[in-house]
Amino acid sequence: MSASTHAPALRLVGLAKTFDHKLAVDHVDLEVPSGSFFGLVGPNGAGKTTSLSMAVGLLRPDTGHAEIFGHDVWSAPERAKALVGVLPDGLAMPERLTGREVLTYLGLLRGLAKDVVARRAEELLAVLELDGAEKTLVIEYSTGMRKKIGLATALLHAPRLLVLDEPFEAVDPVSAATIKTILRGFVAGGGSIVLSSHVMALVEQLCDHVAVVDKGRVAATGTLDEVRGGRSLEDAFVGLVSDQVSGVKELSWLSSP
Amino acid sequence: MAVVALTMARMKLAVLRHAFHGRRAHTAGTGAALGVLSALGTVYLAFVDLDLLAAGYAVWLLGWLLGPLFMGGGDETLRPEYFSLLGLPPRRLAAGLLAAAFVGVAPLVSLGALLGLLVAGLRLGVANALVAVPAMVLQLAVFVLLSKVSVAVVGLALRTRLGAIVSGLLNGAVLAALGQIWIFFWAFGQTGVPAAVWYLPSGWGLLAVRGRWWALAALAVLVLLLLAAWAALLTRRVGAARASARGRRPITAGTATGAVVAKELRTWSRDLVRNHQLTFALSYGLCFAASPLIIGWDGMLPYAGPIFIVMAAAMAANLYGTDGTALWLTLMTPGASDVRGRQLAWLSVHAPVAIVLTVALTALTGGPWPLILALLPALLGGAAGLVPLISAYALVPGTDPHRRAGNPLRTSEDDGGLTGLAYLMLALVILTGAPAALAAVWYGWAGVATGVLTGALCCWGFGLLAERRLRAHGPELLHVMRTGRKPHTTMKSRFDQLSKTQKTIASWCLGFGAIPLVPQGILASVFVANDMLRHSWFLATYMPPGLRYPVAAAFILLGLAMYGAGVWIVKPRSPGSGPSRD
Ligand SMILES: Nc1ncnc2c1ncn2[C@@H]1O[C@H](COP(=O)(O)OP(=O)(O)OP(=O)(O)O)[C@@H](O)[C@H]1O
Ligand SMILES: [Mg+2]
Repeated sequence: MSASTHAPALRLVGLAKTFDHKLAVDHVDLEVPSGSFFGLVGPNGAGKTTSLSMAVGLLRPDTGHAEIFGHDVWSAPERAKALVGVLPDGLAMPERLTGREVLTYLGLLRGLAKDVVARRAEELLAVLELDGAEKTLVIEYSTGMRKKIGLATALLHAPRLLVLDEPFEAVDPVSAATIKTILRGFVAGGGSIVLSSHVMALVEQLCDHVAVVDKGRVAATGTLDEVRGGRSLEDAFVGLVSDQVSGVKELSWLSSP
Repeated sequence: MAVVALTMARMKLAVLRHAFHGRRAHTAGTGAALGVLSALGTVYLAFVDLDLLAAGYAVWLLGWLLGPLFMGGGDETLRPEYFSLLGLPPRRLAAGLLAAAFVGVAPLVSLGALLGLLVAGLRLGVANALVAVPAMVLQLAVFVLLSKVSVAVVGLALRTRLGAIVSGLLNGAVLAALGQIWIFFWAFGQTGVPAAVWYLPSGWGLLAVRGRWWALAALAVLVLLLLAAWAALLTRRVGAARASARGRRPITAGTATGAVVAKELRTWSRDLVRNHQLTFALSYGLCFAASPLIIGWDGMLPYAGPIFIVMAAAMAANLYGTDGTALWLTLMTPGASDVRGRQLAWLSVHAPVAIVLTVALTALTGGPWPLILALLPALLGGAAGLVPLISAYALVPGTDPHRRAGNPLRTSEDDGGLTGLAYLMLALVILTGAPAALAAVWYGWAGVATGVLTGALCCWGFGLLAERRLRAHGPELLHVMRTGRKPHTTMKSRFDQLSKTQKTIASWCLGFGAIPLVPQGILASVFVANDMLRHSWFLATYMPPGLRYPVAAAFILLGLAMYGAGVWIVKPRSPGSGPSRD
């Protein structure tokens, strides 16, 4: 653990990925300080999901590397992956298990003791209000329920870094409040979080650090105040990513009577 | 009505034009060539014997009924779901989809086969020839519609456990009967073609041509009835297959491998598609081995268990693919062994069934104990090793379970790839049984030791290779599953780089190597060993005594050599020369 005491929670160095001639991520460098709550924002197709997948070892970069608390994700995967909990966007689960069974399965896979797994699963299901659906298989879950069970699997092994791709999408307001409380508590306890989101208000409310990515590059990064520079995050974001000054266009055939 | 139908037919044509590129075009081309050959053979029957022609059309009917069930749910170029927001009435939707269903290679080839009706008509008279034209069209409509209705019925059945099991049993029985068709031909050879083939819907067109005019009307009525049935079934096709909601026993495992086993066992029992596959393999094995009883021979009965193992392995050939992107969890937990858990689970589902089946049936026939007991461990171990290995190396990207459309049999968009993978698995699992079988034939009980040894080695070694593959190429496999496309350094692209001659040689070797190896080699030596001489088309059984085993052995060698040559042509030359992957 010596490498990890001063190292940033997540460090991306020159990450690049090309999909059939399209440069999706263009040499991204990013540093997420230990103990920070880091927001990743950017327009659709900016490369957030691709960058985060490469950061946690789910997608092999063309060049560059990623470190989690100083452990390289590709050369020391066991150590790096033990420290991180991931909520990917739109990936499957063991679909024919119930929520509790998914958590038990994953806990054991992570090497946790049986009774620890049972206790944590119980608590997570109760807090995320999934315990009502005790007999429901994950394949029958709603979109929001899938997000919540995904979040539970990310939290289960008490990681030191959480990487969450759009954790609030499709989640109801009550559950969203619960998740916010959990995440704030996690950071207060010394954990670090990277999340991607399209909701600027939410990022402003939760995060202390922000990066704006656009067309596969980091357009701005730093503390929340540095990036928004006195404006609202939304204005700063629109200023950073839109090329035309013309502003928002309307659909003429929809607005004409 | 006509507008909708025409539009859908044109949509289908457009989709097909986009789809037929590269490898898929290659597969489709091979399929079409085989289809044209069968069609020509069928038309030829019209010149020979109308009884045989009726039997031939019965086989085409079976092909239309069953083909889609094993080809990943059949032609789904246009899916009913695409049109659900248009608010079309079900009849019009069905008519439109029917029009689109007539566009394609299979209907065209079948129409070619139905030219036999015209030939038969021309030989009988002018009126008969005139009747043959509408008869051809109606007969084709019956084929296409029966196929659609059978897929829809099985799709519905797969929503309940009972339905999944019953349809698995039926499909297995019918496919085994097709595989053992020579027995029926043999039996027919003595009794003549049964008159029943004339009265199956596949024979009605021919009946009409022969002057039973009512048969034409019957065909028309059948088309209308099937169309109505299909329309009714389309409205019931909603959502994905449901799993049963009973029996949630808590996971009691305490280790990572135990957890994988627990997860897999639950999936085996809860996923109705897997229920279906398991009962299918069981029914196939039993019926295949039992059908020679029709001609009074029980010598194949003890092989029901081994056949079940081979078939079950073929069904599980795309194990990782059917779980889809859930692979990410395996990637995030590099310390735990996913492969070993899956192997244990596969064995604990299949081995008990295989052992009980084999021991019971061999005891019943007093059959060749050393050979059977040699095959059992060899095949079980071979299958348990090959299932994860093949599914990790030749992964066919599947559709994530929660994203599958109304047709539960359709686990992937690449149904040709799935079928190819199943055949590859069949051949490879049979190969893993070969050393033990040969040892048993030559040295008796020593074969059992060989079987245990090769089984254990295959299970351990192939599992290790699969695990290495997952560890080294996990992210690439996940990417394939996420996007449904293969990256560049697979065997397929290596295949594309070959010259045309090399491709042809490799396809012939890999495609037909099984014929000398299995029937003419292994099966023939089994027949010779059992003194089953002058046996249908098994050459070695016609040889004078001294030449029987050598001929069978030569065929086995030829088969192995063909596989060897095929693999040698296709295998990557220098592993390091592919595009760099870090
Ligand atoms: N498998 C793929 N094949 C080809 N292109 C891809 C693939 N995955 C992503 N891309 C492309 O890479 C770019 C980045 O995609 P990515 O999913 O990372 O964006 P994102 O920032 O997560 O977008 P969103 O906010 O919509 O989730 C997009 O232009 C997309 O079209
Ligand atoms: Mg995204």
